Amino acid sequence: MELIIVSNLHKIFKVLIRKKGLKGSLASFFFRKYKKVEAVNNISFSVNRGELVGYIGPNGAGKSTTIKILSGILVPSGGNVYVNGIIPYEQRKKNAFNIGVVFGQRSQLYWDLPVEETFDLYKRMFKIDNAKYKKNVELFIDLLDMNDFFGTPVRQLSLGQKMKANIAIALLHEPAILYLDEPTIGLDVVAKNNIRKFIKEINKERQTTIILTTHDMHDIEQICNRIILIDKGQLLYDGKIESFKNKYEGNCILSVVFKQEDTVFTHPQLKVIKKEGNKNIILFDRKNITPGEAITFIARNFETTDLQYKEPEIEEIVRKIYEGKNEKQE
Amino acid sequence: MIILLYLRFIKLRFQSITEYRGAFIAGVIAQLFYYAVFFSLIWIMISHFKTMNGWKPMEVMFLYALNLLSYSISACFVFLPFANLSQLIQSGEFDAICIKPMNPFLFLVTSNFNVAYIAHFSLSLAVMIFCIIQLKIAINCFTLFLLITFILGAGLIQAAGMLFTSIPAFWIIQNISLQAVFFFELKAFIQYPLSLYNRIIQIFFTFIIPYAFINFYPAQYFLKKNDFLMFHPSFQFLTPFVGLFLFFLAYRFWLSGLKNYQSTGS
Repeated sequence: MELIIVSNLHKIFKVLIRKKGLKGSLASFFFRKYKKVEAVNNISFSVNRGELVGYIGPNGAGKSTTIKILSGILVPSGGNVYVNGIIPYEQRKKNAFNIGVVFGQRSQLYWDLPVEETFDLYKRMFKIDNAKYKKNVELFIDLLDMNDFFGTPVRQLSLGQKMKANIAIALLHEPAILYLDEPTIGLDVVAKNNIRKFIKEINKERQTTIILTTHDMHDIEQICNRIILIDKGQLLYDGKIESFKNKYEGNCILSVVFKQEDTVFTHPQLKVIKKEGNKNIILFDRKNITPGEAITFIARNFETTDLQYKEPEIEEIVRKIYEGKNEKQE
Repeated sequence: MIILLYLRFIKLRFQSITEYRGAFIAGVIAQLFYYAVFFSLIWIMISHFKTMNGWKPMEVMFLYALNLLSYSISACFVFLPFANLSQLIQSGEFDAICIKPMNPFLFLVTSNFNVAYIAHFSLSLAVMIFCIIQLKIAINCFTLFLLITFILGAGLIQAAGMLFTSIPAFWIIQNISLQAVFFFELKAFIQYPLSLYNRIIQIFFTFIIPYAFINFYPAQYFLKKNDFLMFHPSFQFLTPFVGLFLFFLAYRFWLSGLKNYQSTGS
């Protein structure tokens, strides 16, 4: 069953063109020139019930804009959106009952009051009956270890505890869909793991459809079974996480600083892609040569002052895919 | 249902306040002091002139008490959400409001009740009662009903003023100065009887921005005045209707502003 349908979605923002300097400021004060920015450019996808989708892309790719359109905050400039059969921006209220939203950078809790009070408020706002409320609160307290801080004023909670409470609140009315916008931002490893485990658990128990935006590749790997990758408002990849990995994850990077500047470096599997004085950025495919072999080879044959191994970051993969796409077009 | 929820929100705000009792009390005292100085200044100034275009000092005080009392009532409900609308939008908090299962307008109003206006309220009520006694205004069931209706109507006009001046926040994200000028500064005119000013200003505050209906026209019923400028004496009874009409208009405009809402990055 298709729960979310997005077809040919467009969102155009009008952005003021600012000129530099005082003269420019004055000029743009009187004569305003706008340029149109396509935050979302012709994106289509659909999500089935119970899917765990990682919605990724670099900053400014249009992730949040899409989430905001799906949750009814923004009105698209073109295209169609259906969430559980509803056009979200036309029926905001009705849509609100179907979705739960967590903004990682923003808390929904009352700063001065115990977590419990905000829960109680949401119970009333979403008209949750007593039995359902009690069942859910008990479940969340149990799964998220909230017993210690359920009655504590929010200002005394840690970031991780606040995030747990925020996620629990978003799920209190048992929405069919949960949007998570960077839910693990700023958290330590233990807290991140707890939250990931909880999200998977909820998905399994309730078949809650989850759309997750993040910059943390581990979030994606541990939670999602599908990724949608966008950049500059355009869809670049939509599919299983395994095929995404196979396709792009082989590439690893070594950053090596040689002692001598004129070191000539050649190896059939290791390609120098960038040179800045002594510093060489070397790219290799993990399928052909293991990182251990590569490092050993360099350490044996050259004098180095620094050597760093980097797994490709999501941002880099995205750039690479994007560049590849541009080349194909040319 | 919405009323129950509203009571719940008010309860939460009271609870929040009790967490910071000291700060709350200090705030109330500061406000009391500020407006007490304000009342004294008006008093000193008009008692110096003896009368102001036929208005006695106590009558001008009554005028001001009417203004402040209706403001304090409407500000309890609308000040926090609509004076801070541009901040709410900038910080992204407004996004979170849009995904609540409620009308965003109702949510803003219900979740932002401000108890601190107890200072304005009690002070202006005390001054009003003092004026009523001093001016020997006859109070019976009917006039009391009229007085309350006029105050509520004036409150709606004030609320409409706050609402209207908050709408540009949906477009330009910065509306503080606009609100300061068109709401708070312009209202300084109605501290004194409108008959003091020239014709253009009288027309302006009667038809364009009808703040004169907050106090100047309704006060005349109680003060038994006949200072209706070039307008009809029935204007003294119009306040509740002007209030309802303006508030409704402001609400409709506010909703159409909401449609234009663009949100901010990320």
